[in-house]
Amino acid sequence: MTFTLILEQTFNGLQAGVTLFLVAAGLTLILGIMDFVFLAHGSQVMIGAYAAAAITLATGNFYLGVLLAIPVTFASGYLLEYLIIRHLYRRDHMEQVLATFGLILFFNEAIRVSFGPAALFSDLPPSLSGFVEILPATPYPAYRLGVIIVGLLCAVGIHLLVSRTRIGAMVRAGANNPEMTAALGINIKILFRFIFATGACLAGVAGMMLGPLTAVQPGMGEPLLILSLVVIIIGGIGSVRGAFVAAIIVGLVDTLGRVFLPAILRLFVEQATADGAGPALASMLVYILMAVVLIFRPTGLFPAKG
Amino acid sequence: MSGLAHFLTLASDGMKANRLFWLLIAGFAFFPIFTHFADLPFWNDVAMRIMLLGMAAMGLNLVLGYGGMVSFGHAAFIGIGAYCVGIGDFYGLTNGWAHMLLGIVVCGLMGLVIGYLALRTSGIYFIMITLAFAQMLFFLFVSLEQFGGDDGMSIDRAEFGFIDLYNPLRLYFLIWVTLALVGLGLMFIVHSRFGVTLRAIKSNESRIEAMGLEPLQFKITGYVISAVICGLAGVLFANWQEYVSPDIMHWTRSGELMIIIILGGLGTLAGPLLGAIVFLLLEESLPIMLDSVAPAYAENWMILFGPLLIMVVMFGRGGLVGLLAAQRQSKNNPKRTKAGQ
Repeated sequence: MTFTLILEQTFNGLQAGVTLFLVAAGLTLILGIMDFVFLAHGSQVMIGAYAAAAITLATGNFYLGVLLAIPVTFASGYLLEYLIIRHLYRRDHMEQVLATFGLILFFNEAIRVSFGPAALFSDLPPSLSGFVEILPATPYPAYRLGVIIVGLLCAVGIHLLVSRTRIGAMVRAGANNPEMTAALGINIKILFRFIFATGACLAGVAGMMLGPLTAVQPGMGEPLLILSLVVIIIGGIGSVRGAFVAAIIVGLVDTLGRVFLPAILRLFVEQATADGAGPALASMLVYILMAVVLIFRPTGLFPAKG
Repeated sequence: MSGLAHFLTLASDGMKANRLFWLLIAGFAFFPIFTHFADLPFWNDVAMRIMLLGMAAMGLNLVLGYGGMVSFGHAAFIGIGAYCVGIGDFYGLTNGWAHMLLGIVVCGLMGLVIGYLALRTSGIYFIMITLAFAQMLFFLFVSLEQFGGDDGMSIDRAEFGFIDLYNPLRLYFLIWVTLALVGLGLMFIVHSRFGVTLRAIKSNESRIEAMGLEPLQFKITGYVISAVICGLAGVLFANWQEYVSPDIMHWTRSGELMIIIILGGLGTLAGPLLGAIVFLLLEESLPIMLDSVAPAYAENWMILFGPLLIMVVMFGRGGLVGLLAAQRQSKNNPKRTKAGQ
């Protein structure tokens, strides 16, 4: 029984981890290569979720919704970079914070105006709403398992793209030293627009997959944004590999901590104290983890520069 | 020169250099008379909010504007200050001066810990870490069920000795006096040896190190002072609101504080206060304006406010204080019209 619970929660943690990775993968490159503080990445998650939910509701087909929403998120990232972001690269961090904060307000409100403040719900197709036995007599929701598989496939794809292709070599060079990369004749502006749009697309995919699990509503991407910033700091800014490792760690620590920390505390202190302090400590766990990592490695686990 | 004379020279120089700030402070002193005769008591409330947010922004401005440290988590200190009132109240500590002292001590200690850890990093890392620490405290208070958790706790206004805060103007002037004192304190800090060093670190940290000074000490001290000022604002905020919830330290409030500073003018005494005035007036007037054009969308004023912020970043340099200075400069010297210091 306990083993089943641990296994189930480990899978939930993995699912949270791969979702986080999809958000953090693009963002770590945006922060690392262009030294650009992009806070509106959570809005890309929201745009992806809304695009998929709206198309699913209109066509009645979940797969069609996801398939059509992917180019929508790519286009939205591309347009955003072209219209606004590229004018802000040379500004200091604070102005970038301010402008992208303005973008968040705009996107949240625009979604609220066009779709209403209430959450959108779209049903899962029957093929995904069942359970799969991950071990004999241990059922696990098929959809969550699907999310884990898609997330891992995306991670493998990103890894191959970054480590095996010419574009990937440019991306790595850009993360390591953007000026030198540009001096070697690589059009870093086009490269970045591509990274930006791809990052928006990945965040959008995370949003689409989260849609049926959580409520699709304005501002839904912001908690994910903050957690993915923690992931990026732990992993090292600009490092895709670091983002993957950190995302899985953060996903597992957060999920398992919330479930098991109150029980573990109960072994050491009185039940009343444990029940009070357990949830509080669990919700702070990932931030404590981040602080500890920073004390020993101020540039994260896998620093891209240096 | 004797100490007192030196102090007075400094004070009068400071008054002259920061004329705009003291004009605004004087304006706030007379504002209740205006609202009384114009029969607009609601605007006293708006003015109190302006002063409170302005005070917190002035605290943040010490690290952001003068020290060049982009802290994205200062709302946490407002929250800690506010919870010092709430939790103090909960355990029977109803004296407002005690709340203030508690807020100063706790925010100072938290500022020391967070500053020490966060200032090991710089650049984007620093922004993200301050944000993460603020989130950590936010979730801590969300999960503390005995203090209301997500819903927060309502509190009685504290007892400030002979000052009865249930008389609205008493609270108004308590906030006003605190704001003026904070302004006076910041004026001296910025022009002191410490403040000059802090500003020098912003422009060239390695040079300060080469001069044999330890930049980290100055940065942490600045961080602690700014945390304490935000904490004071938080203590008063809780009394004004008669209610504390984690919402007071939501990360968007840290963003608001930054907006206020940049809107008004970075690294100036008057900037944050001016920024707070403009920010809250926009917040009050945009819905009214939208209501007259498209009543269905009056609630969605942020759809205008967001792009407005982006435009401020793209086209407005130096904030409102910079704009005013540029105008004065171009009057005196028509050739130099560039906005800036």
